[in-house]
Amino acid sequence: MIQILFNPFKYIAGIKSLLLGIAILIATSILAFYTNIHFPDVISVKSSSDFPYIYYLIQCISNWIVVSIVFYIIAILASPSKIRIVDIFGTQALSRFPYLIATLTGFSTSLDNFEKYIYYTILKTGEFADVTDYEIIISILIILFTLALTIWFITLMFNAFRTSANIKGVKSVILFIAGLLVSIIITSLITNQLIQII
Amino acid sequence: MNKKLPITCPSCNSELKVQSLHCDECETTINGFYNLPLLLKLEQNEQDFIISFMQCSGSLKVMAQKLKLSYPTVRNMLDELIEKINNLQNK
Repeated sequence: MIQILFNPFKYIAGIKSLLLGIAILIATSILAFYTNIHFPDVISVKSSSDFPYIYYLIQCISNWIVVSIVFYIIAILASPSKIRIVDIFGTQALSRFPYLIATLTGFSTSLDNFEKYIYYTILKTGEFADVTDYEIIISILIILFTLALTIWFITLMFNAFRTSANIKGVKSVILFIAGLLVSIIITSLITNQLIQII
Repeated sequence: MNKKLPITCPSCNSELKVQSLHCDECETTINGFYNLPLLLKLEQNEQDFIISFMQCSGSLKVMAQKLKLSYPTVRNMLDELIEKINNLQNK
C-alpha cells in the first residue's frame, strides 16, 4: 500500500500515466478555479484572487511541462538508459495528484480569515478581520494538511524522476534538487508574466 | 525439494568452481575443475528474468505486462542486469 502511495510508477508509467495525469491536471485546474487556489510555481500552493479559468489551466499545464522538460534534459544527460519522453511526462503528470486534493482546502473560508487576521494584527496591513478559535484550529489543520500533501507530492515527483530516468543514489537526489530549483525559478517567472497578461 | 545452487563460498565468499559432475543413469562421475557458466553466476531471480525476457521475444512492453510492472521499472531491471553481467565478464 505504501509502495502504491509513494511510488506507483513501479506499476504505472507511459501512456496510461500520461492520460491519467492530464485528467488530474484538468480536474485540478477546474477545482482551483472554483476554490481560488493557485500554484505560482511547481511546488507552491496559495490562495488567489479571482482569475479567469484560463489562468488556472495554463498554470497547471505550464508547471507540469516545465518540470517535465527540465527532468527530461537531465535524464538525457545523466542516465545510462534509453529514456522515453512519455515516461517522464506521464509520471510527472501523475505525481501532481496530491495537489488535486490540495485545491479542496480552498472550500474552507477559515484560512482566508486567518490570513487576513495575521496580516492585520502582525503586519498591520489590510482590513480588520476577526477569527474564532474554531477558525484558528481549522486553519492550522489546513496548513499542516497542505504541508503533508507537499511532502507527498515531492516524494512522488522524486520517485517519478528516479524511475523514469533510471538514475540512482546520491546522484538522483542532487539532480532532482537541481532540476526542481530550476523548475521553480522558471515557473515563478511564467506565473508573473501570466498575471501581467491576465 | 528445489535446491539452490551455491555460487559463492559460504566461508570466504569467493566464487565457487565445479569439481564434480555425476550421471544418474550410469553412475559415471567426472572430476575436474570447471568454471561456472556466466548465467549460473547470476541469482535465481535474475536467471528467471532472462528466461522470461527471451520468452517475450526480448520485448520490454510484453515483459512489463507479464510481470504487471511499468515499462521503465522493467527497463531499469534489465539495465541493472546488463551492468552486472558486464562486471562479471570483466572480472
